Amino acid sequence: MSAPGPRPERLLTHRLARWVDARLGAAKLARTTLNKVFPDHWSFMIGELGLYCFIVLVLTGVYLTFFFDPSTTEVVYRGSYEPLQGVTMSQAFRSALELSFDVRAGLVMRQIHHWAALLFLASLVVHLGRVFFTGAFRRPRELNWLIGCTLLVLALLNGLFGYSLLDDQLSGTGLRIVYSITLSIPLVGTWLASLLFGGEFPGPDIIERLYVIHILLVPAAIAVLLSAHLAIVVRQKHTQFPGPGRREGNVVGERLWPTYAAKAVGLLFLTAAVLSFLGGVFQINPIWIYGPFDPAEVSAASQPDWYVGWLDGALRIMPGWEIRAFGFEVPNPFFPGVLLAGVTFGLLFAWPFLEARVTGDRAEHHLLDRPRQRPVRTALGAATAAFYLVLFLGGAADVLAATFGLSVNAILWTFRFLVLLLPVAAGWVTYRLCKELSARDGVPTASRVTMGEIPGRLRRGDGAAGDDVDAAEVGAGR
Amino acid sequence: MTDADNEEPRAAVGAQVLTPRGVQVERRAAASFVVALLAAVGLAVVYWQGGQPQLEGVLLGVALGGIGTGIVLWAKHFMHDDGVVEDRSPLTSTSDEVAAFAQDFQAGESTLRSRRVLVATAGGACAALGVALLFPVRSLGPRPGRGLKRTAFDRGRVRVVREDGSPVRPADIEPGGFLTVFPEGHTDSADAPTLLIRFRDDQGFEPRPGRRGWTVDNLVAYSKICTHAGCPVGLYQTELGLLLCPCHQSTFDVMDGARPVFGPAARSLPQLPLAVDGEGHVIATGDFSSPTGPGFWDRDR
Amino acid sequence: MTGRLARDRAPGRARGWLRRVVVATPVVVALGVTPLVQRPGGDDARQEDLLAQGRRLYQTGCSSCHGPDGRGVETDDGSTRGPTLANAGEAAAYYYLSTGRMPLANTEEQPVRKEPAYDDEEIAALVAYVGTLGEGPRVPNVDVDGADVAAGGELYRDNCQACHSASGSGGALNYGRAAPRLSDAQPAEIGSAVRVGPGQMPVFGPEVIGADELDDLAAYVVYLRDPADPGGIPIGRTGPIPEGFVAWLVGVPALLGVVAWIGSRLPIRRRRA
Repeated sequence: MSAPGPRPERLLTHRLARWVDARLGAAKLARTTLNKVFPDHWSFMIGELGLYCFIVLVLTGVYLTFFFDPSTTEVVYRGSYEPLQGVTMSQAFRSALELSFDVRAGLVMRQIHHWAALLFLASLVVHLGRVFFTGAFRRPRELNWLIGCTLLVLALLNGLFGYSLLDDQLSGTGLRIVYSITLSIPLVGTWLASLLFGGEFPGPDIIERLYVIHILLVPAAIAVLLSAHLAIVVRQKHTQFPGPGRREGNVVGERLWPTYAAKAVGLLFLTAAVLSFLGGVFQINPIWIYGPFDPAEVSAASQPDWYVGWLDGALRIMPGWEIRAFGFEVPNPFFPGVLLAGVTFGLLFAWPFLEARVTGDRAEHHLLDRPRQRPVRTALGAATAAFYLVLFLGGAADVLAATFGLSVNAILWTFRFLVLLLPVAAGWVTYRLCKELSARDGVPTASRVTMGEIPGRLRRGDGAAGDDVDAAEVGAGR
Repeated sequence: MTDADNEEPRAAVGAQVLTPRGVQVERRAAASFVVALLAAVGLAVVYWQGGQPQLEGVLLGVALGGIGTGIVLWAKHFMHDDGVVEDRSPLTSTSDEVAAFAQDFQAGESTLRSRRVLVATAGGACAALGVALLFPVRSLGPRPGRGLKRTAFDRGRVRVVREDGSPVRPADIEPGGFLTVFPEGHTDSADAPTLLIRFRDDQGFEPRPGRRGWTVDNLVAYSKICTHAGCPVGLYQTELGLLLCPCHQSTFDVMDGARPVFGPAARSLPQLPLAVDGEGHVIATGDFSSPTGPGFWDRDR
Repeated sequence: MTGRLARDRAPGRARGWLRRVVVATPVVVALGVTPLVQRPGGDDARQEDLLAQGRRLYQTGCSSCHGPDGRGVETDDGSTRGPTLANAGEAAAYYYLSTGRMPLANTEEQPVRKEPAYDDEEIAALVAYVGTLGEGPRVPNVDVDGADVAAGGELYRDNCQACHSASGSGGALNYGRAAPRLSDAQPAEIGSAVRVGPGQMPVFGPEVIGADELDDLAAYVVYLRDPADPGGIPIGRTGPIPEGFVAWLVGVPALLGVVAWIGSRLPIRRRRA
């Protein structure tokens, strides 16, 4: 393989490799890794986008920590942004202003960091959708589904914490709502809120605490879980779409070395490039306009970042109900803020097991479904997406009202109904569409609760079908 | 995807010989790297010259994008590797492997268990330590006490002041106007910001039962902290006589005890009893009619 | 964690001279940022002409809704067609006319900013005439030159951002009402609106926002028209909602485009690993 040239042992890299191998004996493992095969469907790289956004987040984030000071000590601003001259603010907010105006390359780093956070979450959601709609979460990949969902929760929380650190008007308002939601939990809410914030809102310690959580605890947890996520992918090998020569028992694609590695590095660079463009061209979170946090002030159009928008929308759409009995109460924010969030993530984590229980399909799957082959799952996914989309738009109700000259009350009333009706409509349309498309393909779908109507030779699992005939191979036969 | 599809021009034949298409792609990839190099130099120059966020972002993007594009072109056209087949080995261990593991594990386990006293005491010690280590969590915050249910107005006869600490006379606020006020000495408090609203005679203000004497010269005071999620209810719509919370659109009727008329809030904004002291300044004669801010489990206890 | 101004602030008392601003000054104001100029007194004849012109314009353009005597008009079913102008004052007249909000074609509508229907002189005449109808606020003398923008920012965040939003881009109110965007507001219009409280807007008297503070506040609103946007394209400065749309409509398609390009296939060769 090696090109003619100096003898291998004389190259530094070769000598280093030898040195390591003599101590770890890693050559065999390393060779296996080099030859690992990646299926070459574009949609398998969406998860990688998340990984690369995370890398950009870490790199830009480290730079920001050199300048940001998470202190609530009151100071008077004397920096270069004139319209805040002489204003009393927290040291955290001042250092964020100095980072933006006085540190060279500080603003662009801050903006890349923020855009990377928005797109990190977006990549995870798109990746989640890909895994869900193609059935990639089925046995043996339930563990990785759980890890992936945990990563989503951690990413979401860390985004929220980062948004809350700067102590500008938006972040303070966000924290206030977080405090209220925590407070609303029956029995333990007041204790939890006090322990988290170090007392009553605004709490003397919350920014320092969130800082440690934001830059250390959660990123470390994300890094560990990401590694586990990838290690499990290596161990279990990739799923693949059905096609000629692609069976449950093999993986067809490109080897890691050099092709896929090169593409992956290329993707890392291109992801970072997109984020840099966004960070340089589009202004994000102009805290100097929002001003320092003051608990008696708030601005119109106060919103969380998009990935918390659905929760904010749920808080808005919720009618003014709360439970009061025997002198105790369950306050209104509990239902959308805690219950809905709990049910959302509870169902998300439980999905592979719920589906396996309903379909009775507990077999190993390495070939992916086309979404149309699973009309019920696809329809449920579409309905869920519609539900959270309406919630998100509910979170933008005042901005929509102001932008389009509508009544915010009318919008919220519409959304109260739409949040129930649109998912049903979206699910039904998707279901019909899947059925139609499958019929056009001439392939039966596995829509029913049981897999009964699928001819035996197409059915996976129970060891009933031979390993050589694959449902999907027949299904996708073109 | 048969061999017939293989007709698209390839970039290279073997390792060294480039087709015309390959020459073209190689030039393009090399150009990407050169563009990246120039952008990187540009980035350094921009930084040196004082920095400019848009140029920095765009040049950084071009540098990274150039490298990425070059690598991807290189990979796509000069590393033909697709269609490699790798077999899957079964994930589940064989029954022999499981049995061997179980045997080894149980052998070790029985060694451990043979010292029962040690197992019991070690387990007890670890459990006790675990519980003991939970206690420091308590240091994170004080016990939630009366603080959630009272504000700095509860001392009685507290002057209301503006954010700069200056007192307020009833005539300072025009009919149809409002002012955010605080208990004197507590202008930073997060639970006591108060809206002092002067309604007009023709707005049909109707005091709540038992609160007839709580207003002064058409001045009524409500907590500014939303009973839903605690945002300051800052949008006073003077003709409608409504307060709107910008966070979740809870709407309160100022003329009717700040009763919630729209949105997720389920409770009225607490009202503050007002009076005027000997110097003509507005004071609160007591605390709010109920705890301010968002609800919690034992708010009414 | 508060955003107070460190320096001592004028306690917000009205200045006597504010009350003495001469009637005819809005003529100058209408030109925009130009500060009001105090006119020498004793120009009675001219004043009479102005009032006469104002009365004429009023009778043709305004009286159908506000009544021939400025006491408002009630429709047959008892609802108000146009409110009384008895205590509207010059400031209200100036605000509504110079921002084009009056006259209103459809009285059911919320008035919005449009091209003024009258020229500067006609507005001055109408303002002067409406000022004679009762006891209302005069057009405040707003001078943004040399005003303290940072102090104005504090006032803005205390009193204005709840409805008009931190960036001055306006915001939604209840039942279809909206706080307008402030990007076209001239200093005298800002001052008049603060003193008058047009529509749903509360009134901020001189004891709440003093005359000097009004200058600062107007200076900050003027600053918000074209604030420093060091971060690039401002995408509305309304926070996370437009940012979320950019993330999903620009960022995600760009990233997926990259992925699709990298993942697009070249001809297949098959080999055994």
